[in-house]
Amino acid sequence: MASSNVADVRPNRKGSAFQSFRQLVDSVIDACEPIVEWMIRLSGWSAIVFVLAIFAFVFAQAFFVFENDSMIPSLWTKLDFVEFFTSVKWRPTSVVREQYGIVALLAGTGAVTVTSMLIAVPLGLGAAVYVSEFCHGKTKETLKIIIELLAAIPSVVWGFIGVAVLGPLIIDVTGSPIGVNVLNASLILALMSVPVIVSVGEDSLKAVPDSYREAAEALGASKWEVVYRVLFPAAKNGLLAAVLLGVGRAIGETMAVLMASGHKAQIPGGLLDPARTLTATIAAEMGEAPRGGDHYRVLFLIGIVLFALTFLVNLIADVVVKGIKGKQNG
Amino acid sequence: MADANRSQAGCYVVHSAEKGTAGPNFQRFPTMEEAVSAVAGQGSFNGHQQPSNLTKSNNSLVIAHLSNEQSDASQCRPRHRFYVDTHLLGSGGDGTERDPWPDVPTAAKHILSMAGDGKLNLRPNEQIVIESRKMFTATRLEKKKMRSQRIAKGVFFCMTLSLVIPVFAILGYLFVQAWPALSWDFVTLNPKRMGTEGGIWAPLVGTFFLVLMSLLMAAPVGVMAGVYLNEYAKDNWFNRIINLAVVNLAGVPSIVHALFGLGAFVLAAGMGKSLLAASLTLSVMTLPVIITSTREALAAVPKSFREACWNMGATKWQTIRTIVLPNSISGILTGVILQVARAAGETAPIIFTGAAIFLPVEDNGVGYWLPYTLKSEVMALSMHLYTLREQINNAPLAMQYGTAVVLIGLVLSVNSVSIALRVYLRSRKKW
Amino acid sequence: MADAEAVSKADAATPPKYSITAKDVSLWYGDFQALKNLTINIQQGIITGLIGPSGCGKTTLLRSFNRINERYGNVTTKGEITILGKNIYDEDVSLSELRKSVGMVFQRPNPLPISVYENVSFGLRVHSDRGELSRAKRDELVEEALREVQLWDAVKDNLRQKATGLTLEQQQKLCIARLLPLKPRVILMDEPCSALDAEGIEKVENLISSLRQKYTVVIVTHNMAQARRATDECIYMLLGEIIEHAPTSDLFLNPQKKETEMYIEGRYG
Ligand SMILES: Nc1ncnc2c1ncn2[C@@H]1O[C@H](COP(=O)(O)OP(=O)(O)OP(=O)(O)O)[C@@H](O)[C@H]1O
Ligand SMILES: [Mg+2]
Repeated sequence: MASSNVADVRPNRKGSAFQSFRQLVDSVIDACEPIVEWMIRLSGWSAIVFVLAIFAFVFAQAFFVFENDSMIPSLWTKLDFVEFFTSVKWRPTSVVREQYGIVALLAGTGAVTVTSMLIAVPLGLGAAVYVSEFCHGKTKETLKIIIELLAAIPSVVWGFIGVAVLGPLIIDVTGSPIGVNVLNASLILALMSVPVIVSVGEDSLKAVPDSYREAAEALGASKWEVVYRVLFPAAKNGLLAAVLLGVGRAIGETMAVLMASGHKAQIPGGLLDPARTLTATIAAEMGEAPRGGDHYRVLFLIGIVLFALTFLVNLIADVVVKGIKGKQNG
Repeated sequence: MADANRSQAGCYVVHSAEKGTAGPNFQRFPTMEEAVSAVAGQGSFNGHQQPSNLTKSNNSLVIAHLSNEQSDASQCRPRHRFYVDTHLLGSGGDGTERDPWPDVPTAAKHILSMAGDGKLNLRPNEQIVIESRKMFTATRLEKKKMRSQRIAKGVFFCMTLSLVIPVFAILGYLFVQAWPALSWDFVTLNPKRMGTEGGIWAPLVGTFFLVLMSLLMAAPVGVMAGVYLNEYAKDNWFNRIINLAVVNLAGVPSIVHALFGLGAFVLAAGMGKSLLAASLTLSVMTLPVIITSTREALAAVPKSFREACWNMGATKWQTIRTIVLPNSISGILTGVILQVARAAGETAPIIFTGAAIFLPVEDNGVGYWLPYTLKSEVMALSMHLYTLREQINNAPLAMQYGTAVVLIGLVLSVNSVSIALRVYLRSRKKW
Repeated sequence: MADAEAVSKADAATPPKYSITAKDVSLWYGDFQALKNLTINIQQGIITGLIGPSGCGKTTLLRSFNRINERYGNVTTKGEITILGKNIYDEDVSLSELRKSVGMVFQRPNPLPISVYENVSFGLRVHSDRGELSRAKRDELVEEALREVQLWDAVKDNLRQKATGLTLEQQQKLCIARLLPLKPRVILMDEPCSALDAEGIEKVENLISSLRQKYTVVIVTHNMAQARRATDECIYMLLGEIIEHAPTSDLFLNPQKKETEMYIEGRYG
């Protein structure tokens, strides 16, 4: 800022011509102020618009048929909602009778999410504590960058890693006949959701005022005692939010679980069984489902279920985070 | 009671010893009381070292109960351990390491009264040790604490390592596997025969187009929304809802974005499966990333900068344009670049909205550089990897790995730019 | 004041006992030397004030007495600081034990974000093994400490409330109270009253006075009146050096050095 001003002030023919041009531009921009402010306002509201739009469009696709510019409710009457929420049978293409029960898919999502969180939460929080409390300077920066890079790897690559690298490894180590299963998907998902846990966890530890650490250390507490006697209680909401965001991520992840979970609509009996998640079902079947048909609509309905699930998780995480902020201010 | 009686009889030895040396400075007593009294300096103790000197050096006083005259005091097991710290004032303390007695006579007094109460049942071959507690040195508990501290640190370190090592191991492995396929031709040739031959040029260009288009749409809206939230929004319920919407938009699963894109852009807006529909879907998905990072970048500009500008009579917009944006532009860029990386890697949102499994593309001329139009479907690198792995059976493994490595390379290098920018920014920050 | 004179007279008769002695202490933050070859002897059982203009190193000196300075990575200390006869920079010194005996009260009250009870028993928990202290014993020690700082009546009905919800004055008292169950020998205070209002200052000052004799207290203050009221001896520092160390009344009525005189007259600082 300062340096550019200095450059502008320097007497120089080109500079002054440039300056007068700039003044012109500036005054034009200033004249546009009301327009710009309205654009800013509109953009500010865009997030709400999009969240509502997402819900509305997915909802519309699930429940209405568009014919000749009129909407006809369709799925209401046809779909057996009791079956949808209680049946284990997902047979959308059966010639005898199509069945749309998402229990198995929910179980798949649940199994993969829970298992991956069992791995990711301890590792993620542990790493958050290590990065935030036990290292300094260059090491800290480097570790944070590496974990950030972990977050940058695209999910399709993770899926590819699951199928091509981890799958054969699982077959070798466990002797299981298939390598793409709950374990595989969970490991991949764990690595995928760890970065968000680490970074949010680290943020919430960093947000604990240093005076607390100092006070505890001045009473003779060791680093570790500071962590578990002071930081954990003080940052527990933030850490919980970190976990919830990780859960949200795991529930919503698509490509990686599609490739690594084995894709079999059944309630998995163990870690080595294949499973199928809500997300993977949509991704895999939407291409084949005839547009406007029941199968197609049910896939959108699953989209609504997913939307609601992640909305809930994120909402809770947000409330939890707001909870700390409110208390710290108060 | 029998025990107490037994402890009265026998041979007691008092000796003081430098740590490590068992000196000959000891004396025998017929009862424990006499031994303890000697320790207190009240009895007839004329050992080499005066007991009251105890804490001056690094030694301890021992009252040992020998099983017979000949047995060796150094064989005795310590049964009670007491501590004395001569720096202490007053007569408090309970003789523990945490709360030692202030001097040897006090110690002796307490030991005697404990013995009187029958609390010290010294059996043969057992001893009472009175140690000097040195100020500020680690107690047993302290040492235990340090141990658990080291263990905790080690565990946390291993946890971190278990996240870092797989990254390098996997990246290395992918690269090694991809090596045979990686060449200039691999990048610059179009895929042939459903991608089983040739290179990855067309998907690469497709990804570039998708990212560029989504960037053009998401960046202005996202940045302005960030400006709104940080500069204009007051803290009321409406803006709280906006914040909530941003958070939740970021949390919407990518496949739900895909459904939205399908319903809104492909069908309702009549765009069909196209580059435009796919880019729009991607831009909605990456919007919250840009909003959040823009907001953070703006929030990092100190309030005083703005106040200085307002004091000069500038309007809000002038302040933002001349002070806030120039001071946060690199932070905003960081966020925008992050969205680029994210958009380049996404697959799910484009599967039904515009990504093609395979498209025949011209090998030279304009069609080589601009193979897609807004209305046409598009190949993308991420989709291409999915296709090679899952949709067709005979794609050479090295090509799959090669595609993965190029995709990772692309995303990571874009990310590195953002990280480098951030590091540079932080080093340059003046406030 | 009468108290202070009594103490210094008594000391004149018998050779004074020193709680803290510093010999040739220098301290650097990176390249910046904040303390320059300090040598001081601080008497046992009295309240010693550290005064001087802003940035002269009062806090730095105070913080080197319990080595909490070392939390900042860039600190180098040279010289010898002996507390109760032991050089605290010796190899075998355990920071945890040192800080147990040398307690510290900070400028801003910083109770931990846990309950009042847990705050006071925090030190006990840290310095005793699991199960070593019975519940009853701990309750007793907590009550004793809170009574000693005259906080017991205010919080006794609600020991489980969060300590961060107390008034600033109560928080600062709590910060003193939480040192006491550890039986510290020395209590260091860095401008303990600067965040309080007038009434709070008076109460906390009274409290500090009552700690005299039982503990050795070193207190940093910017407030000349407070230094005169509450301390027995005063050390005047300037630019990382000790200019004058004398009984408070002497230092204020009859300063030996010109810099001291100018400072207490309010010419700078
Ligand atoms: N962590 C640190 N890193 C670098 N320099 C520091 C640090 N802490 C203090 N200093 C410097 O050391 C000098 C002494 O600081 P100190 O805080 O001890 O002064 P003080 O006498 O307590 O001042 P005040 O009355 O304002 O509290 C100051 O010049 C300060 O800038
Ligand atoms: Mg200070």
